[in-house]
Amino acid sequence: MNCRDAVRLLNGYVDAELDAAGALAVEDHLQACARCRAHHASLRAVQTAVRRNAEFHSAPAALRERLQARYGHGGARGAAKLRSWFVAAPGLAALLLALWLGFGNIADRPNDPAQMRAKVVFQISQSGSASTALRNLANHLEASPDATVVVVAHNDGVDFLLSGARDESGQLFEPAVMKLKSRGVDFRVCGNTLTRRRIDTARIIPAATLVPSGVAEISRLQTREGYAYLRL
Amino acid sequence: MSDEIKRERFERLVLPHMDAAHNLACWLMRNEAQAEEVVQESFLRAFRFFEALRGDDARPWLLGIVRNTCYTLLERERQSAARDEFDEESHDEDAIAPGAVLSFPVNPETALIESAERELVRACLRALPAEYREVVVLREINDCSYKEIAAIAEIPIGTVMSRLARGRRLLERALSERMQRKDTGT
Repeated sequence: MNCRDAVRLLNGYVDAELDAAGALAVEDHLQACARCRAHHASLRAVQTAVRRNAEFHSAPAALRERLQARYGHGGARGAAKLRSWFVAAPGLAALLLALWLGFGNIADRPNDPAQMRAKVVFQISQSGSASTALRNLANHLEASPDATVVVVAHNDGVDFLLSGARDESGQLFEPAVMKLKSRGVDFRVCGNTLTRRRIDTARIIPAATLVPSGVAEISRLQTREGYAYLRL
Repeated sequence: MSDEIKRERFERLVLPHMDAAHNLACWLMRNEAQAEEVVQESFLRAFRFFEALRGDDARPWLLGIVRNTCYTLLERERQSAARDEFDEESHDEDAIAPGAVLSFPVNPETALIESAERELVRACLRALPAEYREVVVLREINDCSYKEIAAIAEIPIGTVMSRLARGRRLLERALSERMQRKDTGT
């Protein structure tokens, strides 16, 4: 493959839209050609910059309710309303969690130690939400040190668990992750995401562990182990 | 299709894509109030022409309707602005629509003070010509595949790839220029 072909295919490569043969040919060329490597690095940088900084505008709650009322079927209205609250107000979700963690210790039967501990699985699927998520986690552990907390990272949410990853203010994520880990928070990374995004497993920081599928892990924790689920 | 069945199907297939629709409308209109208007109009059209949906995957179909609704509204605005003798700026394709409420500061001085990178990236993306902005937004923020983008924007897949390439190059240039300006303090 020459540089012209490589440049033509580079966007498809970055977007994981090439077939295996095409992707391998691009990779071989990148190994050999420093100029195309630089081009590839800057494409990735632009992609990361946009994904990290350009916000997803969810529908405002009022619009959601209007559309649901006009075109909805009726039954799911309550659920949609609740969902919209969580989408519109992540702070509210955090508050509810804090309340739930707090009350959980009082309300549960005191004789069963497993019942006494609140169990929560957090899903992180966007790289931009990692620092907020870590801050919330630290606050919650402050309020409820007994909670069992698992963080499952997938899609762009795995970025903060790669070695050398930094938050918006340039701070390394790793020390914060290790601190939470020392307080019992378990960080799990989706293996499917790594394969799809062609991320070497060696880049995952030692504090995190690998699971085959993030989504399967979340549903397993919810259904088999009775975890509450929160998306950050 | 009876009304009952239509509503049930519409709710199951189309309503879940409300957020995706609103996101695309916000980035194309660059104005949240107008984006809401677009989403409402798009759902009205989608419901009226629901029988035209082939298969169960309503997202590209709905986003295609959102896109068309945005461009119709923008074109109408452009024409009425062109009639306005005082409005010099409207001849610039990328001028922000009159009356637009910006959700972030475009002033580079303000952008420097807080979360400089975030503001820069958003400002540069918003300033991108619409044909490139739409493919970048669909790809990076709505997480659409090339095939879906091709269906939404009614262009061949090869064009999706070349517009993404050009859009990203323009973004890269705009970002690095502004970063440099920031570094030298001008």
